[in-house]
Amino acid sequence: MRSRINFYIVEYAINSLLRQKYKTVFVALVLTLLIFLLSSIFFITSSIKYELHATVEALPEITVQKIKAGRHDEIDVALMDAILELHGVESAVARVWGYYYFENAGVNFTLMGIDEYEEQYKKSFVDAATKLDFTGTSMLVGEGVKRVMDANYYKEYFNFIKPDGSLKRVDIGGVFKAQTELESNDIILMSKEGVREIFDIKQSKATDIVVRVANFNEVATIASKIKLLYPDTRVITKDDLKISYQNIFDYKSGIFLALFTTALFAFFIIIYDRASGLSSEQKREIGILKAIGWRVDDVLREKFYEGFIVSLFAYLVGISLALAFVYIFHAPLLREIFSGYSQLKTSFALPFVLDVQTLALLFFLTVPLYIAAIIIPSWRSATLEADEVIR
Amino acid sequence: MIRLIDVVKKYEVNQNESVIALDNINLEIKKGEVVVLRGSSGSGKSTILSLVAALSKPTSGEVVVADERISKLPDSFASDFRRNTIGFVFQKYNLIPTLSVEENIILPLVPINLDAKEIKAKLERVLGMFHIAHKAKQLVKNLSGGEQQRVAIARANINNPQIILADEPTANLDSKLSLSFVEIVGELKAEGKTIVIATHDPLFFGLDVVDREIEISQGKIL
Ligand SMILES: Nc1ncnc2c1ncn2[C@@H]1O[C@H](COP(=O)(O)OP(=O)(O)O)[C@@H](O)[C@H]1O
Ligand SMILES: [Mg+2]
Repeated sequence: MRSRINFYIVEYAINSLLRQKYKTVFVALVLTLLIFLLSSIFFITSSIKYELHATVEALPEITVQKIKAGRHDEIDVALMDAILELHGVESAVARVWGYYYFENAGVNFTLMGIDEYEEQYKKSFVDAATKLDFTGTSMLVGEGVKRVMDANYYKEYFNFIKPDGSLKRVDIGGVFKAQTELESNDIILMSKEGVREIFDIKQSKATDIVVRVANFNEVATIASKIKLLYPDTRVITKDDLKISYQNIFDYKSGIFLALFTTALFAFFIIIYDRASGLSSEQKREIGILKAIGWRVDDVLREKFYEGFIVSLFAYLVGISLALAFVYIFHAPLLREIFSGYSQLKTSFALPFVLDVQTLALLFFLTVPLYIAAIIIPSWRSATLEADEVIR
Repeated sequence: MIRLIDVVKKYEVNQNESVIALDNINLEIKKGEVVVLRGSSGSGKSTILSLVAALSKPTSGEVVVADERISKLPDSFASDFRRNTIGFVFQKYNLIPTLSVEENIILPLVPINLDAKEIKAKLERVLGMFHIAHKAKQLVKNLSGGEQQRVAIARANINNPQIILADEPTANLDSKLSLSFVEIVGELKAEGKTIVIATHDPLFFGLDVVDREIEISQGKIL
């Protein structure tokens, strides 16, 4: 009976949209833009969250730094022996690393030293250690570093300037890849010897010591034991780092939330505008349809299709544009808000994280709301006495 | 066919003011009858038509049309009643100017989901009957007043209703077109339809085709 889809009403709805070309195009454009903005923000946020989570997970459980005059200083490698003695410590590695300022592009790279036969404290380094040529002077560079170097015509090697002003040439041996791009993007990996030479760090010294603990529950206890043993050190646990990373993210997502709210606000203005009334022409048309035998639910069905077509179109196009914008074009402008965090200065790609939940949330934030905004005023108009049309 | 019993219709202008548009009307129109409601502007003619078409409900009294007590019908039944039983030719035609002639004419059929063949047959019948077939694809807004009226009449007849109501049908027509409307009334009468015309145009007074004239003044039958 009347419950199956009536394509004449669908046709009428499409026709009705086409008859109001400019208005339809305008509303569809604004809706699309808003959905695009909303979904871009959602996509970036969930990608960064994912990236952040993975980065934090890859951090060492305990990091020990030497503090001198309130600043991070080189630490004695000898400290490792005492730390390894502590009950519950699985391993300890002296790290040799630092930031290298690349003048041509005005960015900092992170220079990391690894040893061929040492137990690697990061999973991503295990693979890198097999790729890196430890005999000569060679390095693996992250994607971001590679881009910057390519752009400055350092395609095969790079000359590092040592503290004494002399140059050290290092060949680019390949690209370093970690689980997340945030982690590997600005990294240069080379042998510890190479890093020691570039930063002038003696054999007896290291940048910091990272400690792996067998039982996760003992991290805090072991950290305080180390602190007792060496009062002139700073002992940082993964949890401390998690909190500071989280703080940065919260601050950034605050900005995003503001943008998000603005977009949502604009969306509601449209909704409000639509819900607050129909033009006299639209009212008259509803009156005519009722007067010639359309039921209220026929009118509402027609309006439903109108709203559904426009908002579904806007939803699909907006989402597709946002996907392309965030994951193909790496969200220019919007991403800048985030790219300042951690020491990261070079650009990075956002990992593709697309969950059905986000898509569903966006759908329910937009499509039904818009349809309701179309239907409610029509319903008000359609339930009035139809005899207006005879005047 | 049509019966109004003690019908009163009041319009609330505001909280403490109301207009009595119809004041205790009793009226009976038989099947196949052609009736003219005559009276000056504001006398209540259009109000009677809107009650008969179930476009509005009486304040008190009863309206019975085709054995239906339409003054008691719920809204969705009133819609079905209008579509099936009534063909209304409105004073302002009430066409949708940005739709074509044929789209306007089949508008009453849109909600009932007939198959395309049936719609086409119904459309062709009225296009031929009211001589508008040659304009079928044109937009209504590009038609002359007389042509628009023929579209309105065709739409009113698309479902072959038993009752045709026409409100001031000659108000916007010259005398030649007015006469051709009278001709159409004759054709519809020949099909056995019950026809009620609300008008103050003297053209309709004393016509052969008209069976009865009812004079309305200030909401009362004289
Ligand atoms: N919606 C309305 N609100 C208030 N008064 C109305 C309304 N509709 C009609 N009237 C009044 O009812 C009376 C009858 O109107 P109507 O039936 O249109 O007369 P006619 O068609 O004979 O010119 C008039 O006085 C008119 O002003
Ligand atoms: Mg009138």
